[in-house]
Parts: sequence; C-alpha cells; structure tokens
Amino acid sequence: MARNTFKEDEELIEPFNIKHLLRASGYIKKYIKLMILALTLSGLGGAFGLIAPVIVRRALDVAVPADDKGMLLSLTALLAGVYALSIVFTTVRSYIMANVSQDIIYDIRKDLFAHLQELPFTYYDNRPHGKILIRVVNYVNSVSDMLSNGLVTIVLEGFNLLFIIGFMYAVDVQLASVVMFGVPILAFFMLWIKNKQRKAWQAVSNKNSNLNAYLQENITGAAVTQMFAREDENKKTFEKLSEDCRKTWKTAVRYSNLVWPGIDTISVFIRACIFIFGLILFGHGSKSLGTIVAISSYAAYFWQPIMNLGNTFNNFINNIAYLERIFETIDEPVTIKDKDGAEALPPVKGRVCFENVSFSYEDDKEVLHSVSFTAEPGESIALVGPTGAGKSTIVNLISRFYDAGSGRITIDGHDIKEVTLSSLRTQMGIMMQDSFIFSGTINDNIRYGRLDATDEDIKKAAALACADSFISSMPNGYDTEVNERGSSLSEGEKQLVSFARTILSDPAILILDEATSSIDVATEKSLQEGLNTMLKGRTSFIIAHRLSTIRNCDRILYIDDGGIMESGTHDELMAKKGFYYRLYTAQAA
Amino acid sequence: MRTDNKDKKANNKNKRMRWLYDNLKGSRALYLVAILGTVLYNVMQLTVPYFSGEIVDRFLTGEDAAQNLKLHRDVFFTLILLMVGLTILRTVIVYFDCMTYEHVSQKVLYNVRNYLYDRIQRQDMTFYRTYRTGDLMTRVTGDLDAIRHMLAWVVRAIVESFSLYLAAAVYFLIINVKMALTLLAVSPLLFMIIVLFKKSVGPMHERLREKLADMNTIAQENISGNRVVKAFAREHYEIARFDKSNTDYKETNKKTAMVWIHFFPYVETFANLMPLLMLLVGGLFLMSGELSMGEYVAISGLIWAISNPMRLMGNIMNEFQRFAAACDKVIEIYESEPQIKDKEGAVNDPERFSGKLEFRDVSFSYADGSKEVLKNVSFTIEPGQTIAIMGETGCGKSTLIQLIPRFFTPTGGSILIDDVPITDYSLKTLRKNIGLASQEVLLYSDTIEGNIAYGDSRLTREEVMQFAGLSAASRFIEALPDGYDTVVGERGVGLSGGQKQRISLARALAVRPSILILDDTTSAVDSETENEIRKSLSELPFFCTKLIIAQRVSTARTADRIIVLKDGRITEAGTHEELTIRNGYYSELVKLQMGTE
Repeated sequence: MARNTFKEDEELIEPFNIKHLLRASGYIKKYIKLMILALTLSGLGGAFGLIAPVIVRRALDVAVPADDKGMLLSLTALLAGVYALSIVFTTVRSYIMANVSQDIIYDIRKDLFAHLQELPFTYYDNRPHGKILIRVVNYVNSVSDMLSNGLVTIVLEGFNLLFIIGFMYAVDVQLASVVMFGVPILAFFMLWIKNKQRKAWQAVSNKNSNLNAYLQENITGAAVTQMFAREDENKKTFEKLSEDCRKTWKTAVRYSNLVWPGIDTISVFIRACIFIFGLILFGHGSKSLGTIVAISSYAAYFWQPIMNLGNTFNNFINNIAYLERIFETIDEPVTIKDKDGAEALPPVKGRVCFENVSFSYEDDKEVLHSVSFTAEPGESIALVGPTGAGKSTIVNLISRFYDAGSGRITIDGHDIKEVTLSSLRTQMGIMMQDSFIFSGTINDNIRYGRLDATDEDIKKAAALACADSFISSMPNGYDTEVNERGSSLSEGEKQLVSFARTILSDPAILILDEATSSIDVATEKSLQEGLNTMLKGRTSFIIAHRLSTIRNCDRILYIDDGGIMESGTHDELMAKKGFYYRLYTAQAA
Repeated sequence: MRTDNKDKKANNKNKRMRWLYDNLKGSRALYLVAILGTVLYNVMQLTVPYFSGEIVDRFLTGEDAAQNLKLHRDVFFTLILLMVGLTILRTVIVYFDCMTYEHVSQKVLYNVRNYLYDRIQRQDMTFYRTYRTGDLMTRVTGDLDAIRHMLAWVVRAIVESFSLYLAAAVYFLIINVKMALTLLAVSPLLFMIIVLFKKSVGPMHERLREKLADMNTIAQENISGNRVVKAFAREHYEIARFDKSNTDYKETNKKTAMVWIHFFPYVETFANLMPLLMLLVGGLFLMSGELSMGEYVAISGLIWAISNPMRLMGNIMNEFQRFAAACDKVIEIYESEPQIKDKEGAVNDPERFSGKLEFRDVSFSYADGSKEVLKNVSFTIEPGQTIAIMGETGCGKSTLIQLIPRFFTPTGGSILIDDVPITDYSLKTLRKNIGLASQEVLLYSDTIEGNIAYGDSRLTREEVMQFAGLSAASRFIEALPDGYDTVVGERGVGLSGGQKQRISLARALAVRPSILILDDTTSAVDSETENEIRKSLSELPFFCTKLIIAQRVSTARTADRIIVLKDGRITEAGTHEELTIRNGYYSELVKLQMGTE
C-alpha cells in the first residue's frame, strides 16, 4: 500500500455492510442482561403510558357528569401512582443505559488500543499519526450513543410499532391498510436517502481525518514551520482542508435534515387520507365515528415511533462511517505475532546467528540478500557502511520489528519466530536514532526501561549514561517535566536520557542504532567507559558513522548493497585496505 | 472570596457570549432569521391540531356531521388542504431553517478553526513547551465541535422550547385564564430545578474535558512513540496506562450522566404534575362549570407543548455546560499572544541580508528559571565567513543558534544582523533569510520533492534536484522506485537517519539563505558522504554566512573560525591551527579523533 498523507483520503472499498452492526452487537452481548432489563422496564413504562388515557377517559365520562369529587380524587391519585411508577422505571432504565453505553465505548476503545499495540511499524509508517489518533478518540466517542440508546430505540419502537399495527387492524382492516400504505413510500424514501447519506458521511469522516493528520503534524513540527516562515502557506493549506470539512459536512446534513421533514410530510398525507377514505370513499356512515377517531389517534401513535426510528436511522448512517473505520483498524492484520504455541525464550546467553537472511520492504527491491553471520555471546559487532545500505534493517530483524523474507535468525539456537515476542524483546535493549521522550518527568522516562526500578537504580543508570550531571543541575532534577517535543532537552541530552533508559532495562543483547550520533565526542568517550563495563558479557550490535565509536568492537561488518562486504577487527580491515580502510581514511582526512 | 468567584463566573459567561457574538460577525442577520424561523415553525406546529380538530368537530362528531359533509364538501377539502399544505410549508421551513443553522455554524467553525490554527502555528517555543500536542488537538477538534453544536443545535433547541412554551401558554390563557394559571404555576418550580442542575453539572463537564485531553495525549504519544514502545516490549504497560485513562474518562462520563439521573425524577415529577392538575383541577372546574368540555380537550391536547420543553431543558443545559467548558479552552488559545512577535514598524524588507552576524554580550536562561544556558557570549561573523561551534552535550550550542531566528529571546545582550538588532526585522524577513537544518530532523508526510521545497514551494523539479545534489542526496533519492515523488512518512519514517539529515539539509539550502545554520546535520551520515557534502558547502551557488555546529574535527577544521563553548561561555576561539596548539578542548578533540592519543 502506498503511504498515505493528509492530502488524500483513505480508501474504503468495502460496501455498506450489515456485518458492522452485527459485529457492534457483539460488544452489547456482555451487557445483554442489563439491556433486557432496561428494555423490559421501558416496555412496562410504555404499557403504563397506555393506562393513563383510560383513567382520564373514565374521569371525564363517569366522575365529572356524576359530579363525584371523591371518585375524581381517587382517579387522580391512581394516575399519580401510574406516573410515579413510570418515573421509577424510566429512572432505572436511564441509569442502566448510561452505564452500559459508557461500558461499551470503553470496551471498543480498549480493543482498538490493544490491537494498535500489536500492529507492526509498517502500519504506523504508512499513514499520518493524526489519522490513527482520530479513530481512537473522536470516532469512538461518536458511536457511543448509537450503540446503546440506538439499539434500545430500535427494539422498543419496533415493538411499539407492531403493537399499534395489531391494534389498528383489530379496529378496522380497510382504514388500517390506508395507514399502512404510507410504509412503502417511507421505505422508498429512506432507501434513497440512505445511499446518498452514507457516501456523504464517509466523505465527512475522510476530510476530518485529513484535517487531524495535518494538524498533528504541524503542531509537532511547529519549529520547522516557523524556521521556514511557512505560516502563510500552511494557513492556506489548512483553510483548504477546513473548507473540505465544511463542504462535506453541509452535503451530509442536507440529506440528514431531510429525514424528519420527509416523515412529517408523509404522516400528514396519511392523516388526510384517513379522513378522505373514512368519510367519503368508503361512504359516510360505513365507518363508525369511534372507528375513525380510534384509527386517526392510532395513526398519530403510529408515526411517533417511526419518527424516533427515523432519527435513530439517521444517527446510524452518520456513525456507520466511523464504525467502519474503527473496525477496519481492529481488523488490520497483525503480521508479526507469536506463533501458535510459541514458548518464552529462555534467559539469553547471546549467540545470534543469521542464516541466509534476505529481506525486502513492500515487495520492492531486496534490501538484504542472503546475509549470514554469527555473533558469539559477549561479542560486540559493529555495522558500518553507507547510509541506506541495510544496517538498520539487520538490527531491526533481530528484534523482529520486521520478519525476514527468507532464511532464519536464531538466538542461542532458538529460531526467533518460534519464541514469544515479549520474551524476545524484553531481553534486548534497543536504542534507535529517534529518541522519543514521553511527557512526564525525566524519572518517568528513564523508568520506562524497567518499571520496578528504584530511584537509586535510575540515578545509577543515568550516571552510567553520563546523564546524571546535567539532570542533577536542573532545578527540579529528575522530577523535571519534559514532553514529547523534549522541552528544554537538547538532542544530545535526549539521547543520553534514552540511553539511560536502555541501560536500566539491563538487556542481554544490546543494539545501538546511531544512538550516540548527537552526543559530542568528549561525552561519548566517557560514555564509552560506562558502556564497556556494561557490554561485558553481553552481545552487542552497534551502528555508528563516527568510527571512533566502533573501532574497539570485537568485529566490524562492512555492509553495502544488502550484504556483508568485509568482516574483521579494525586492524585486520585496515590492513586489508578495502572498503573500511577507505571509509576510515576519509573520516580521518 | 465567594463573591469574587461568583463575579468571575458571571464574567466568564459574559465573555463567552461576547466571544460567540463577535465570531458571528457577518452572519448575525442570517442567524437571527434562523431563530425567527424556529419561532415560526413552532407556532405553526400548533395549527395542525386546530384543523384536524375542526374536521372532527364539523364533519364527524357534530350533530349534523353527515349533513355538513354532503353540503359543505368544499369546506371539508379546504380544511384537509390547509392541514396538508401548512404541514408541508412547515416542514419546508424546518428544513431550510435547519440548513441555515448548519450554514452559520459551519461558517463560524470554519473561521474559528482557521484562526485558531494560525494562532497556534505562530506561537513561540515557550508556548509549545507548555501545551501538550494531544491537548492542543483536543481544542481544535473536540472543543470546537462543542461550539459548533452550540450554534447548530443548542440555540435552536432553546428557541424551540421557549417559543413552543410561550405559544402554548398564550393559547391556554386565551382559552381559560384560571386553568392556564393553575398549570403554569408548576413551571417556576421546574425552572428552579433546571437551574440547580445546570450549576451542578458545570464542573463535571470541565473535568470530562480534562479527561478527554489526557486520553488524547496518551494515545497520541503512544502512536508517535510506537517504536520505543515496541523496543522495550512495553505494550502491556501502555495498555494498562491507556486503560487507566480510558477508565477515568468512562467513570467521569458516568458521573456526569448520574448528575442528570439524580435530577431526572424531580423534573419528571413536576412535568407530570401538569396532567395531574389538569385532571384534578380541570375535573373540578368542569363540575363547577368554569371550564367547558371543548376547552378541556383543547388544553389537555396541548399540555405536551408546555411540559416537553421543560423536560428537554435538562439535555439543553448539559450541552450548554459542555459548550461552556470547551469554549473557555478555545478562548484561551484564541486570545493567547506569542511573546515573540513583530515589533511595531519592524522592517519588512524582502532584500537579502549581506550576512554579518554579531552576538553582543548575549545571555540566556529558560523561562522555568533553570540555570543560565548562555553567559555573556560575544562574537562577530563577517559576511561569507564560516564559523564552527563546538562543545560538550548541553553546553548551549543548540540554544545559541535557536536565538538567531528568534525562537527564544535572549535574557541579556543583543544579536545583530548587518548591524541591526534582529528584533527590528519582521519575523518573516528574519527567518526567510536564515536556513536552518536542525538536529532533530522533522520531515512531513509528503513527497521528497515537497519536503525539499518546503521553504519555497515555487521551486522547479530541476532546482529541487540541484539542492538534493548539493546535499549528496540525489543518488539515494533516484534509487528509490518513485524517486522524488516517494512519499515519506511522518517524521520521515522509511528513511534512514542519514538520509533524513540530507533531505533536511537540502531543504535548508533550497531557500538560498543569506545565513546558513547547520546544527550537527551530518552526524548520521557516513564519512565519505560527509566529505562530499563539505565540498559542496564550500562551493554553494549563493553567497552566505555559515554557522556550523559540529562534533567532528573534520567538519570544523576548514572553518574560518572555531568557537568552543563550555557551560554557556566561549572558552576558545580561533582557527584550527591556532586552537590545535593551544592545549584546550579542541586540541584534546583533535587527538581523540585522529586516533593519536
């Protein structure tokens, strides 16, 4: 799949599918008992509602003409009782539904987030992060009402409707059929709207997603924007995205707002038809007065649930667009996962073996071609070579960030595809080029490496990483608040903090991918000392362009064109006067 | 103290309304039309029962109904036609009225959102250190939506409720004053409860909003930091962290709902009091003859028009408070002024600087009061010169260069370009003249061409290729299947560190700056490529002053002058030859890197 940007909509090929609703109902299953209780209460409340007119009629027909104040009083008391009960039912129902709807939202969001954790790098690399974020936060919020109250409305009003239809037919078949005549018209109308509406709301969701993507990227990259004085141009781009949102929204509501007036119009036609048919066409007197009054009052009752259903339907169509996106994400295949019956990797001694490993990203050209080498426990291996030669790819394969296309990688003889991901990765310390800092204190950020570490452990790790002195010199020391953009930390300081984080995790295999590039040479030298004590007994892979960083490694692999071109110690390779020699002399020049 | 708070609250409320009113500028008349439209269709809603009542009275229940139907068929059809026609007219009004609300609210949303975005992107770095990304995003998305909802729905619902209520009340009063007053007596009580509810639900919405922003932040950082999460196999920890926030949000949502559920029985009791009074008092009035049967039926048929608006008020108040909480957050950003901005009468001169740069006694410390990062730094660079700045991690190198494009303001001293203080230039002029490739490479999810031409989108493909060539990037770019049209992900994912750095360099060169600042731009580049870049930097097709932060001696040695910073002070300055023999940091470095220790 091509990489998506804020400029283009994400395609969704799947046609409208009832499956999404069925799937959503899976989330309801857990609360089905509570929901049935809520439905029953609503049903009872509704039934009581039907009693009220009976009481009123009795008061007007009997008590008032008889001037019986006592009877009027007791009927009022009865009515009050009915209302009180119905209030109790409704309150309990609202209570249940408020809880259930929030619980459902929580469940969906939890599943979505948990699934996102399993998705590989490629998923995150191929789309702007703002588009993922909007699904987790905004979209899930949108579907909340539809899943809870929407379904209750459907079931409840559905029953109501059947009930009323039954009553109408019991009173008069002919007139009931006149009322029912409105149904196909309505169905036709709704179907027409539905197709338009669905497309329109999908467009809304796409445009919002684009806007969110652009927004997030620009908040993160504010410094770059300002540096290049791009504000005016960015503003134009944003306005364009904003305009897209506005336009699609207005198209969408154009259809949504038709539903209610549409139903209203059909309903008044039907009412007119009852009078016309009842009084004139079927002949005056052919229908009794009571029949017409009853049917016309039922017709009024008949349209109320339909109105409610119409609103719910509207709500559904709007939100299906969001629901589709949520499920699309939950359905995103997890390409790198534990094999069935995978066992935990036993404590690692550190023998890492590549056997004819080939790899390519997205079926393009091969990045690695049949790479084989073995790292003995405790050995430190340096990977050097031109940028883009495949060095990062090699280390990314060891921790299974990507799966090798062919060949296999073993650690202490265990194929890494046969062991659990978490047992593999927790025994590895990986430090990448981008040192991501989470918002929180510096302490929190280092502790990320080992959650149960004490403050003392953290200080120790920071000292080993040469980070202790600058952290301690800050007014709040380790409790200094930092955020994603790193706040007042320089790039070098960020690397030291993430280095401390890696040290703290106490890995058996250490992977440093350009981890010290932004650290000055002098600091790196003291860092090296700390590193040397740490490296003892651990297998390590170090990628660095600064050759002073790697010359002391046990073995240096020169990588280019997807393969190992040279291998040996610094002295051996220098004597060989090959690629490494050229690289080294270029740097020393 | 308490009254203070009360005043503040009232002030906030006025402020919100004032702000909303200001932003309705240009649509105020149209919005008024929409409001009048709402009044109109609600009054019309009371007419249909009138016509159907007439039909029933005249042609169905009356004594000579059959007779009437035969003789006055025209009246019958006129009534039917009126009933249908007025309903259709009403639904047409409803439709256009709704669309007018949508139109106005979308217009306000559009304007405010654009304004807000522009505000945010022009804020200084101090602002960005204060607000988390997730929080800012909540303001531009969720909070703005609450404001849109206010204009599109809440206001309409309020107008609808009041007009329905008032129309029905007037109708009742015309029919029977005593009965009407009896029923209306309940409303003040109901109203009081609603006000109480509004007060107690207000703080909940503020909390809810905070929880949402928290959740947004956690999710956003998890997504952006997905590589770190995976590297440490912290998925379970992340899930637990998110779960806490998710639970918090859920619980707060539930608590907010519970506030309404707490008030609901009282509201319903009062609302149901109306039909009860109708039955009891109405019944008594019927007995005493103070009320006719026709009047009774007319009033009781419309009792919903009085009680439903009162019921709906709960929901309206909920939404209103959501709006209030969101609005405060939006206004905060809307009104925030960057501290670093153009001075009055700042020079807005599109001409190139000649490139003389002078630091005069510059000191700097961050606003959070931590230690001084730069202390009395002074130096001058003549046009066209190259200066290398070196020093240990945290010595203040990066801070120093960030002062030049005015990302921060020095706490002491001044910086001059071409002998003019940089504060006298407009930000745009200043920054357009500076090309900075920073340490942290931030690329945009766009094509490589788009990224290189970020500073000047008028660049042709040839020019883009030229600058890629200067940064030694053309070879790898051309080797990509889509070449310059390759889309790179956010933060440049898909490219190696060295590749990203070279694109960032090309981007900085592409604006042909008169002052070029390179903050350790080749740290992740292999040495051969670095040599290539160094060579092209010395032969740039445009004249510029260069400021280069470097770790490697090889980069620094050819500079006209090398400045070494330590703890925010200049400790050494001179040429490579001068510094090599001066037993300091630089000569140490030379020994270290030449492998001659």
